[in-house]
Amino acid sequence: MLGLFALFLLLPALLPRLGYTYLGTEVMIWAIFALGYNLLLGYTGLPAFGHGAFFGIGGYLLGMTQKWVTGGLALPLAAAAVGTLLCGAAVGLFVARRRGIYFSLLTIAFGVMFWFMVFVFDAWTGGEDGLTGINRLALLGYPLRDNVPFYYFVYAWFVGATVALWRIVNSPFGQVIRAIRQSESRARAVGYDTARYKWAVFALSGGFAGLAGGLYALARFGAFPEPMSLAQSGNVVLMCLIGGGFASFYGPVLGVVVFLVLRDVLSTLTDHWLLAYGLLFMGVILFMPEGILGVLRRLRQPAGFHDTAAAHAARGDEAATVPAPPGGERGA
Amino acid sequence: MTPDLVDLTTQILNGIVLGLLYAIIALGFMLILGTMEVINFAHGVLFALGGYFALALQPHVGWWGALVLAPLGVGLVGFVLERGVRRTYGKDPLFGLLFTFGAALALEEVIRIVWSPRGYTIAAPAFVAGRFEWGFLVYSRYRILVAVLAVVLLFLVWWFLERTPYGAIMKAGAHDSEMVRALGIDLGRLRSLVFSLGTVLAGVAGVIAAPMWSLKPTIGAEAVMPAFIVVVIGGIGSFWGAVVGGLLLGTVSGLSNLLVPRGSILVMYLLMALVLLWRPRGLMGQKSVLEL
Amino acid sequence: MTDPRPAPAPALEARGLRKAFGGHVVLDGVDLAFGTGRLSALIGPNGAGKTTCFNLLTGFLAADGGEIRLKGEDVTRLPPYRRARLGICRSFQILNLFDDDTVLENVRVAVPAMRARGFDCWTPAGVLSEARDRAARIVRLIGLAGRERVAARYLSYGQRRLLEIGVALAGEPEVLLLDEPTSGLGVRPMETLRELVQQLSRRLTIVVIEHDMDFVLTLSDHVAVLHRGRVIAEGPPAAIRDHPEVREAYLGRLGMPNPREGRA
Repeated sequence: MLGLFALFLLLPALLPRLGYTYLGTEVMIWAIFALGYNLLLGYTGLPAFGHGAFFGIGGYLLGMTQKWVTGGLALPLAAAAVGTLLCGAAVGLFVARRRGIYFSLLTIAFGVMFWFMVFVFDAWTGGEDGLTGINRLALLGYPLRDNVPFYYFVYAWFVGATVALWRIVNSPFGQVIRAIRQSESRARAVGYDTARYKWAVFALSGGFAGLAGGLYALARFGAFPEPMSLAQSGNVVLMCLIGGGFASFYGPVLGVVVFLVLRDVLSTLTDHWLLAYGLLFMGVILFMPEGILGVLRRLRQPAGFHDTAAAHAARGDEAATVPAPPGGERGA
Repeated sequence: MTPDLVDLTTQILNGIVLGLLYAIIALGFMLILGTMEVINFAHGVLFALGGYFALALQPHVGWWGALVLAPLGVGLVGFVLERGVRRTYGKDPLFGLLFTFGAALALEEVIRIVWSPRGYTIAAPAFVAGRFEWGFLVYSRYRILVAVLAVVLLFLVWWFLERTPYGAIMKAGAHDSEMVRALGIDLGRLRSLVFSLGTVLAGVAGVIAAPMWSLKPTIGAEAVMPAFIVVVIGGIGSFWGAVVGGLLLGTVSGLSNLLVPRGSILVMYLLMALVLLWRPRGLMGQKSVLEL
Repeated sequence: MTDPRPAPAPALEARGLRKAFGGHVVLDGVDLAFGTGRLSALIGPNGAGKTTCFNLLTGFLAADGGEIRLKGEDVTRLPPYRRARLGICRSFQILNLFDDDTVLENVRVAVPAMRARGFDCWTPAGVLSEARDRAARIVRLIGLAGRERVAARYLSYGQRRLLEIGVALAGEPEVLLLDEPTSGLGVRPMETLRELVQQLSRRLTIVVIEHDMDFVLTLSDHVAVLHRGRVIAEGPPAAIRDHPEVREAYLGRLGMPNPREGRA
């Protein structure tokens, strides 16, 4: 983890100053979103689809708080995170008792509902044009307008969120949600009210999504509806999968990098990058569902009967696999 | 603006027509969902494809010819799609969903490439052009045709499910795939059949809906959402649930268009939330393997 | 001189249990009482409703009729997780483990010390020494010492069966329900299991569903026989062995099954 933090710390010095600092900022923002989302997907095994809505809500909450409640930075950001967490908690009430496909179906429905709400309540949200005029302002006197200072501002949040999520994953709570993924019935049999835990994870992941969304609104000086659309809700899922969210804690981060780089590359190559994107989606699902880190893990193991759980999943032997490698890093 | 009786009746009729269409789309979606536990995200774009195929075929085979051939074309696409979805069976259901999600994006872009992003209008066939008048009621003849076709189609599906051995096998397959296999029925072929059938239904809906709305690449995404809601409201695994859910959603939608035009879409969700609170499995949902 | 105190309530009892699936009645008025500290066996031909019984007793299925009492308290409407916390734990007929977790983790998550901290999002789980120690003790008890760090999926079948029981034990139950614990076991794991169960039966109330007649007849204090949704016989093993209705239930009219007969 320290290596990761060091890398991101040094990045603005290494990368050419041209538009790449912003890309680095974007990577960190989406990484916060994806890591939080992976809590739900990779760790608890709940295939939520439509989480883009929470990302968007975070942005709007930040914008609305900044415009109408206080002009600052801290309170709007807090509103973004906490407010979205509460939204997640509210939706969670409906979905926590479900599982599998039904769960996905409901999360999609709610996700799109929020998307529509943005357009219906356009007096508040600016509708299609978005909520513009959001300010980055200053933190303790340091103006954040420029990309580099803002990068470090986001960096601080990135570090904080990653550490928090790492603690969550290795805590008793993390044990329980992993148990829920592996066998919800057994988790209930040993005394856990699994619906309550699923609800909690849903709310938590919503909170992280909201934080990321708020930061994103600051980054773009405005909150816009696009990330909330159904099509873009798939982004975070793809990010987690490509990187190997089922196989590793860091999978989502890698996935974010791959995804954003690919997006930039593809959109300069062709107008029809959506087609490539769709094909990429299908390709990853068919050939690499355990993600890059999952594949690497599999290759690193000696061949033979110590096949990794990730490889088992890819071959369909079992549903999702361990989010942290057996032995080693986990705080057992 | 207070609605008057004519407006009200028109909207209710619109709602019914819409509801029947929703029911057809939802049924196709639900067949795939129930039998293979796959959320077919591409269902919406296949609906759109039905309309586009009809657009392409009509000049050559006329409206009725297109009505028959376009859905078959969509079914073919569905068949190919199922080949890919196949590889996700037995794994986390998320994978099937994501695969069809990717397919939906790709197909929508293909539509944009082939037909351009602009909207097309398809004319209703000549023999049902114009209005039907009865007393104070003035209603589009075409929509009446749509309603009739929809009812016929729903009847055919019902008959297939309830009165033929294939239908029984499909229903059994949803509940107990092991048993079906044990009876010597080729599960792979069954799934192909179900998937294709589901997509054909989407295609037909697309063909008959096309003259009512303008044909754009995005109508697929717009159609898939109500299908989800209908399935949630009506309950997974229930034919009548899809029908009742569709009609309910259609009429509520129509009425709210009249009364609360800006928020009518949200009313759909309100309805869904209410139904879920009252009957968590949907109005007629049976306990399915999807919930455990 | 008779003891004037009222007899203690049985650890687990059910009265008038009824369960039907669709039109098919699986349990039709079942009365069961499992005395505290006893090792009881629930036997019967396949399809008699034994696992359904367990599902009802532990709350995985809702009874259509009747009531269930745990240490005298009515638990009929309680969900499984509540019953587990009240002291009744079960193992499953079809292995139900946390396959990606290690042996230690499998057991540890079921330990009350861990359960109490379920919503703790900050403490590293490894720091909870009470939970870890308790889990380690259970792992030793079930005979898997030395394999704490092996993921459950890589254990042998016999070891997985033992782990299955270990997870149920971890919850410090007073009543332990074991659903076909010996199913498919080879000789050595079978021995370990027998000793384990015997040892446990001194402290806990145990109810076992079993097809292995040798196990049933030599280890249990009390046997109840289920057939077509009803209890057709109940009593000490010797009485059951010679009971005509029991023989008939298993074999038609051919007499008592062999000790090893009827195993999956």
